[in-house]
Amino acid sequence: MIAKSHRLAGRLVAGFSAGLAAVAALAAAQWSLQPKESKLTFIGVQAGAQFEGSFDKFTADIAFDPKNLAASRFDVKIDTASVNTQDGERDTTIKSADLFDVKRFPTARYVADKFADKGGNKYSATGKLTLRDVTKDVPIDFTFESKDGAAWLRGTAKIKRLDFGVGQGEWKDTSTVGNDVQVRFALRLKGAP
Amino acid sequence: MQLKNDESRYGVVAQLFHWTIVVLIIVQFILANRAANLPLGVAKIAVLAQHKSFGITILGLALLRLIWRWMNPVPAEPLGIPQWQRLAARVSHIGLYALLLITPVVGWLMSSARNFPVSWFGLVTLPDFIKPSRPAYDFLHQTHEVLALTLFCLALLHVAAALKHHFIDKDNVLRRMLPVKLKQEPPRS
Repeated sequence: MIAKSHRLAGRLVAGFSAGLAAVAALAAAQWSLQPKESKLTFIGVQAGAQFEGSFDKFTADIAFDPKNLAASRFDVKIDTASVNTQDGERDTTIKSADLFDVKRFPTARYVADKFADKGGNKYSATGKLTLRDVTKDVPIDFTFESKDGAAWLRGTAKIKRLDFGVGQGEWKDTSTVGNDVQVRFALRLKGAP
Repeated sequence: MQLKNDESRYGVVAQLFHWTIVVLIIVQFILANRAANLPLGVAKIAVLAQHKSFGITILGLALLRLIWRWMNPVPAEPLGIPQWQRLAARVSHIGLYALLLITPVVGWLMSSARNFPVSWFGLVTLPDFIKPSRPAYDFLHQTHEVLALTLFCLALLHVAAALKHHFIDKDNVLRRMLPVKLKQEPPRS
């Protein structure tokens, strides 16, 4: 008898916590990325001049609710081979072993789950970027504007490519290709049905 | 020697413009050939960055030089030159000036078309007047090469004419672009 009631209590507690977790997860609205309208770009410096490139393929699992930052979470996966700088020869070079090494590291990933409200519609987050198997904290600043079940998530980040080993051999030189890279994103989100 | 031109010779400023551009153009051909033989890498990007910076320098110098030319008298041609030679000299000079302006501009557009914007020695980034486009790049690249080759041929002709004046006609045409004394010419009637 005693054993039975313990088991029952255990089940109740387990069920209750699962329910709580579900409620918390629900509270941070789940969004689905609209890839065609969304952009993930970067700006590098080459021989003193900035140039822009983009990633044509990436997925973003976005759970974000301004009223429930604690339960919010970004998980972005980027296909490194989809890099596009509008120049085939440069793209081939970027994909090669000394830079992205897309054969060994086909995916870069950014996961953020610590958010801060900066007032207005501005937020910041500190997440972890994994690129070439190197994981480092990368803060982002972004704005979140939602209207009628759709939203824009727009922001920027700054990274140093050599922190992630993007640049082996001669590409370690930063006088010709700068170490600083700006990342910009504009994600079009729709509320999951 | 005088800074400004007069009826008989080019002044120091015009000579500096002329010879600086000569040196830069020779450097440009060397850098362009070096870049063409390099695989895409740090070295190629660095060589092309120099080529672009010098090219924009030539464009700026050519513009200043034309303004200077407009503010100065152009030394008169020697007497007794056949009409066709006067015409040839005029056409080739216009051609040289045009190429000094157009070749760098096409190079600049070509860089924009390939999304490799131009920085002038890392100090100023030039605006992109056209969007990245492979067909536009291919066209502009070919045009840039044809213009550079035309400039090369016209410059050879220019050198040949100057040497002909100096060694065969024995006149002051070459001397007046050099920091040397002019030969006494028969008085103009």
